[in-house]
Amino acid sequence: MSRASRREYHQRLKGALDNRFLGQTLARFQGNYRGSREAGFSGMDFPALAAEVGAAKDAAVGQLEELYQQFKAKAEAAGATVHLAHDAAHAREIIAGIAARTGSRRIVKSKSMTSEEIHLNRHLEAQGLQVTETDLGEWIIQLRGEGPSHMVAPAIHLSRSQVAELFTQVTGQEQDPEDIAALVEVARGRLRQAMLEADMGISGANFALASTGSIATVTNEGNARLVTTLPRVHVALVGLEKLVPDLNTALKILRLLPRSATGQLISTYVTWVTGAVECAAAGGRKDLHIVFLDNGRLALSQDPVFSQALRCVRCGSCANVCPIFGKVGGHNYGHVYIGAIGLILTYFYHGLEAAQELVNNCLNCQACKVNCPADIDLPALIKKTAGLVMAEQGRPLKNQLLRRVMTNRPLFHFLLRRAYLAQKPLAGDGRKIRHLPLFFAPDQEFRSLPVVAAEPLRDRWSRLVPPVAEPRLKVALFGGCLVDFVYPEQGEALLELIDGQNIQVDYARDQSCCGLPAAMASEEETAREVARQNLAALNAEHHDYVLTLCASCASHLKNYPKLLAGDPGWAGRAEHLAAKVIDLASFLQKEVGLEPTAAQGKAVAYHAPCHLCRGLGVHEAPKELLRDAGYDYRPYDDEEVCCGFGGSYSLDFPELSAAILERKLGQVAATGADTLVTDCPGCVLQLEGGLDHLGSPIKVRHLAQALAETKKGSEP
Amino acid sequence: MSHNDLRQEFRRQAEAVSAVVTPVADPAEAFARAARLTAEQGGACLAAPGWEADELASLKAACEREGLELITQGLRERAGEFHTGLTRAQWGVAETGTIVVNSASEELRLASMLSEVHVALLTAANLRADLFALEQELNSTLADAPGYLAFISGPSRTGDIELVLTLGAHGPRQLHILLLEEGS
Ligand code: SF4
Ligand code: SF4
Repeated sequence: MSRASRREYHQRLKGALDNRFLGQTLARFQGNYRGSREAGFSGMDFPALAAEVGAAKDAAVGQLEELYQQFKAKAEAAGATVHLAHDAAHAREIIAGIAARTGSRRIVKSKSMTSEEIHLNRHLEAQGLQVTETDLGEWIIQLRGEGPSHMVAPAIHLSRSQVAELFTQVTGQEQDPEDIAALVEVARGRLRQAMLEADMGISGANFALASTGSIATVTNEGNARLVTTLPRVHVALVGLEKLVPDLNTALKILRLLPRSATGQLISTYVTWVTGAVECAAAGGRKDLHIVFLDNGRLALSQDPVFSQALRCVRCGSCANVCPIFGKVGGHNYGHVYIGAIGLILTYFYHGLEAAQELVNNCLNCQACKVNCPADIDLPALIKKTAGLVMAEQGRPLKNQLLRRVMTNRPLFHFLLRRAYLAQKPLAGDGRKIRHLPLFFAPDQEFRSLPVVAAEPLRDRWSRLVPPVAEPRLKVALFGGCLVDFVYPEQGEALLELIDGQNIQVDYARDQSCCGLPAAMASEEETAREVARQNLAALNAEHHDYVLTLCASCASHLKNYPKLLAGDPGWAGRAEHLAAKVIDLASFLQKEVGLEPTAAQGKAVAYHAPCHLCRGLGVHEAPKELLRDAGYDYRPYDDEEVCCGFGGSYSLDFPELSAAILERKLGQVAATGADTLVTDCPGCVLQLEGGLDHLGSPIKVRHLAQALAETKKGSEP
Repeated sequence: MSHNDLRQEFRRQAEAVSAVVTPVADPAEAFARAARLTAEQGGACLAAPGWEADELASLKAACEREGLELITQGLRERAGEFHTGLTRAQWGVAETGTIVVNSASEELRLASMLSEVHVALLTAANLRADLFALEQELNSTLADAPGYLAFISGPSRTGDIELVLTLGAHGPRQLHILLLEEGS
C-alpha cells in the first residue's frame, strides 16, 4: 500500500468529517432510515425472508449462463435484440454502436448503477451525443459533474441550497432553496421536454426474468417509464447477476428490496417490459436492445466464496446502517458501488488502485450483515477482499509480525507482560495512559489507553478460585487478551457473581488470543492455527459451557466451525465448542438467577457490543439484568451502534473511530446516566478512554462489575 | 382475508402512499367523477384510451356535461394538453395498495404517464391479498409478449433533495382509484 495513497485517503476522510452539513444530512438520513425500515418490516420475519432471497439468488447465480440463454431466446422471440458485453469497454462500444446505427443523437437515461460502473456517459458524450440523466438526483450530480454518493439517493450529500444554486444557474432564474417542490418542478419541466425529444432511452433493470424474457425496473419518480416509452430506441443495460429464473424469485426479492431501500412497502412503479412494445415514434414497434454486462461477473459466480457478492440487489441498506458511511458519505465510502458491498465490488470491477485504501475501512460491526436483504456476510467478504488486496501488494510488516507472534502463545504472552514494564513510565502511577509518544501511534489523542495489568488474570487464578467438590456445572472460562492482561478485575467480578453457586470455573492456561485480530488482518491461516490451539486448551467436551466476558471473543469462537470447516481433524471439535459458547448475560439468566435487588436509583446507560447484539443476537438480557439489579436503566437511540473501536481499526482510522465514539458519548451524556455499562472489554477500552479524555465523570463498567457491585452492596 | 378486509386493507395502504380511493357503484358514476375531478382542477382535456364503445359513450356524455374535450388516441402529439388519464386497472393488491395495469397499449401508457392526474377504475372483485396471490395471472400476462405491465402504488414521488418527500416528480401528481363494487 503506498503511503501517498493512504495519506490522500485520510485527507479526504478528514475533509468529510469537517463538513458540518454533510455530517448533519447523513445523521438525519440514517436516523430516518432506521425508523422507516423498522416500520416497513414490522410483523415480518426478516432473517428468514433474507435467507430465502439469499438462497434464491445463489441458485440463480449458479446458472447464469443457462439463464442468459433462456432469457435471450424468449426476449428475441418477442422482438428484442440481446447482447452480451464481456467488459466495460465492450458494453460502451455496443451501446455507442446502437446509437450510431439508429441515428440517435439525443439520449435520456433513467438511473442505472451498471451504467455508472462502465462510465457510460463520458464515453457517449465523447462521441458527440447528448446524454441527459432524468432521475432527479442523477440529473443534479450530472450537472455538477460528480458521481453518485449513494446507490439509491445519489445526491444525498447535497443541501437544498446547493441544489437551488445549481438550478438558478441552469434556468437563469433565481430559485428559492426553501421551496423544494419548486425545485422538483424545474426538473420535471426540463426533463419532460428532454424525454419527449429524445431518440434513445437508456435504462437499467432490477430483474431480468429468464422465463419470459422480461426486464423490470423499480422506481419512484416515474422517469424510467417515460424513458422506456417515449424514445424510439430503448437500450437496457443489465448486470448478468440480475437474471432470475422466474417471477416468483423476483417477487421474493421485490418484497424486501423497497423495504430495505427506503422502508416503503413497494416502490411507486414496478414496470415490466417484454419485447418490442408498441411505439409510434419507432413507426410501430420499439427498437429494444438488452445489453447484459459480464465485466467479471461470470468468473465471480464460479468462486466458492465471492459468488455471494452477486446476491446483492442494490438496495443501499448496507450504506444506510454503516456508522462509517454515516460520517463520511458515499464519495469517501465506495468508488461507484457504495457501502459495504462497494468495499467488495470495487476491487473486482474497478481494480486494486480504487480498492486498496477503501477495503480496510471497516469496523466489522456487522450492522450491514444483519440488514442485508440478500443475507450476504458482508464484513467477512470485506476481510477476504482485503486479503486479496494484500496478496497482490505483499504483506505489510505488521502482518508478518502478527503472524509470527500470534501463533506462538508463550511469545505473545511474554510480550504482553513486557508491555506492562514498557508502559510504566507513560502511565505514572495511574491506570491510564493519557499521552502516547506520537511515534507510537499518530492521532490517538482522542482517548486515553488502559495500562496492562501488573498481574494477569491467569496468574491470579489459582489464588482466587477454590476447587468445587461436586459442581452442578462445569464452565471453561475463555478470558481473551483484554480481560486476561488488561482488565482482570472483570474476571474477578464474574467470580463474585457466581460465588456460592456450586459452579466450577476452569481457566486453561494454554488458551491464547481468540484469533479475531488475525482474522481482521486477513491472516486466515494464523487465525486457524490459534483456533486449533484454543480448541485443544479449552477442552469444551468436558464442560457444560464455554463462557466469555468478551462479546467479540464469543462471536469469534462461534465462528470456529466456519473457519475450520475444511479441516477434518478439528471441524468436529470446533462444532462442539461453538455450541457451548455463551455470553455472560445469557449465562447469568439461564444458570445463575441473581436475586433481584431493590431499586437504588443509580442511572445507567448501556452500550450494546456489536458482537453481542448482532453477532450473538443477544439484545435484552443485559438490560433486564441491570433493571433487576435495581439500576435505573436509560435507553438512547444509538445504543446498538458501534462505539468505533473495531480492534486495530481504531489505530488505522483514528479520525473515524473518534468521530463515531463522540456521537455515541454525546447521546450517553444526554441520558443523564452516571455509569455506562457494556459487556465487552474492547468496548470498555474505547468508551472509558473517550470519557477519560473528555474529563467526563461518567464511569464505565463491565456488566459483570456493575452486577457484582450491587450484589456486594445488597449483602448485609 | 374476507372481501371486506381486503378492501379495507387496500384502501388503507393506497392512502398511505397518497392515492385517493373512492368507491363507485357503476362505470357511469366513475366516468362522472373523473370528468368532475378534471373540471374542478381546471383541466380541459381528458385522455381515455382503450375503453369499449358503450363505455366511451357514457364517458363522452360525462365529459360534455363538464365541458371537457375527450381524446382516445394520438396522445403523444397532445403531450402536456390532457389533464387526466383515465384507464382501467386489472388487479389491486391489498398488502401494498398497488394497482396492476396492463400497459401494452402505448396510448394507455401515455395516458397514465403524461397526465397530471391518473384515474384508474378497479373492480373490487379483482383485489388480492398480495402479489404472490396474483402470480398465475401475472405470469400469463408476462408471457403474452410483447408487453408492458405496471404495478403502480400512489403518485410519482421523489426524496432526492434532502430526502424531502415531494409528489409528482415525473409522472402524475395524483392517483385516484375508483373502486367498483359490481352488483352493488
Ligand atoms: S449488499 Fe445487501 S444491503 Fe448492500 S446493497 Fe446489496 S443487497 Fe443491499
Ligand atoms: S461491518 Fe460495519 S463498518 Fe464494516 S461495512 Fe459493515 S456496517 Fe460498515
